[in-house]
Amino acid sequence: MPKIAKLWNKLADPKNIPRLFALILGLLLIAGFLIPVGLNTDQIYTRPAPQSQMDAGLAIAPYDRGGEILESPGVTEAQYPENSQNLGWINSYMTPIAEVLKGISPYFGTSICASPGGVIDESLYYTRGFDTILESTILMMAFIIASWLAINFTMDRKKGKEDIKEDVKRAIASSDRIASEVEMSNRKAREKQAKKEFR
Amino acid sequence: MLIEDLGGSIMGTIPLGDIVLYLNPLHIFLFVTILVFTALIAISRTETQVEAMFGSLDENKVAVGKKEFKQRRFLAIICGLATAGAMITGDLFNFTLFMALIGIVNIGIVSAVKQVDVLNSAYQYGLIAMMCGLPLFGGAAMILAATGTLSLFELATIPASPMMIFGALVMLIGVCGESGIAPFFASKAEMFRTPGSPFILIIHLSSLFIIVRFVEILLTIL
Repeated sequence: MPKIAKLWNKLADPKNIPRLFALILGLLLIAGFLIPVGLNTDQIYTRPAPQSQMDAGLAIAPYDRGGEILESPGVTEAQYPENSQNLGWINSYMTPIAEVLKGISPYFGTSICASPGGVIDESLYYTRGFDTILESTILMMAFIIASWLAINFTMDRKKGKEDIKEDVKRAIASSDRIASEVEMSNRKAREKQAKKEFR
Repeated sequence: MLIEDLGGSIMGTIPLGDIVLYLNPLHIFLFVTILVFTALIAISRTETQVEAMFGSLDENKVAVGKKEFKQRRFLAIICGLATAGAMITGDLFNFTLFMALIGIVNIGIVSAVKQVDVLNSAYQYGLIAMMCGLPLFGGAAMILAATGTLSLFELATIPASPMMIFGALVMLIGVCGESGIAPFFASKAEMFRTPGSPFILIIHLSSLFIIVRFVEILLTIL
C-alpha cells in the first residue's frame, strides 16, 4: 500500500505532471504503430499530387487552385455547397503585396510569408472562414497576454523591500532543503557501500 | 451514433460555410448556462483574501490591483465565449481550435499573479498545453484522413474504423491534458490558489463543460 500512497503524492506535484503526460502520450503514439493507417482518397479538401504544381512552374505552388479574378472560378470543394454561394470565385484573389512577391519569386508558395496564416491563406479557406478567424484570435490572445506582461512586468521584485526579504527567506529555506536532501542521499549511498563491503 | 439520439432533435443550424453550428436541447442548455455564467463574471468584482498575521492581531489583505483586474476580466470573458462556442460547434477541427483558445486564455488569467507557486504551476500547465497541440490537431487530422470529412453530421453516419478510433483516442488525451482532468489535475488545481475568485473559476468551469461536450462528440463519431 505505501507504494500507491507515494504514487498519489507524486501525482500531486505539478512538476511531475508534464512528464506523466508526455509518457502517456508517447506510449499511445507508439501503440499507434500497430493500427492500420491508410489515407481515404475520398477527401473533400483535396490537394494536388506532390510536386505536380512545382513541375508545372506555378509561382504559388503548391497552393494554386486555378481561376481568374472576376472571370472564372477556381477549383474548390465544399461539404455543403448550398452554404458557399460564391465557391471558387476568390481562389485567385491575392493582396497587392502577394501579387508583387509572386512576380519576384518563382518559389513564393513555399516561402514562409505565403503560408500558413500568410498572405495567400485566405484564398484557400473560403469554406472554412470561421476557423481562420479562430486561429487569428488564438494568436491575438497570445500577443495580448505577452505584451501585457511585458509592459507591466508583474514579476519585477527588485523594488519592494518586503519582496526582497521574502525572496531571501525563500532562498534560504530552499537551499536548506537541498542541503538536507544531499545529506540524506549521501547517507544512503554510504549505507549501500557499507553493506557491499560487509558482504 | 446519430446526433438525434444523444442530445434530442435538432432545432436549427447556423451555417458558416462548411462549419455548421447546430442546436439541440442539450447544446442550447450548455450554451445558455455558460453565457449566463460569463455575464455574471463580467459584472462581478473579485474577492479579497484576508490572512491572519502570525503573532499579532493584524490582518493581511491580498487584493487584485485595478489593472490586473481589467486584464483578467477581459480574458475571463474571452474564455467564457470560447467555451460557449465549443458547446454548439458542429465541426471537429473547429472544436479543437476553441479548445486551444481556452487553454491559452487559462494561462493568461493567472499569468499576472505574484504568487511564485501559482506561476510555477501555471508554467507546468503551459508545458502540457503546448504538448496538447500535437494530440488535439493530430487526432482531428487522423480522423480527417480516415474519413475525408470533418463535419459531425457526416462523421455520425460513417461507421468507426480502427484508424478513427485511434484518432479519437489521441484527441481524448489532448482534451484530458488541456482541460486538466485526472491524472493531470495537479498543475491546474494549483493555479486556483490565488485571489480573484470569479475569474479563476471560469478556468474550472470551462474544463467541465468541454469534457461534457467532448464525450458527446466521441459518442457521435464512434
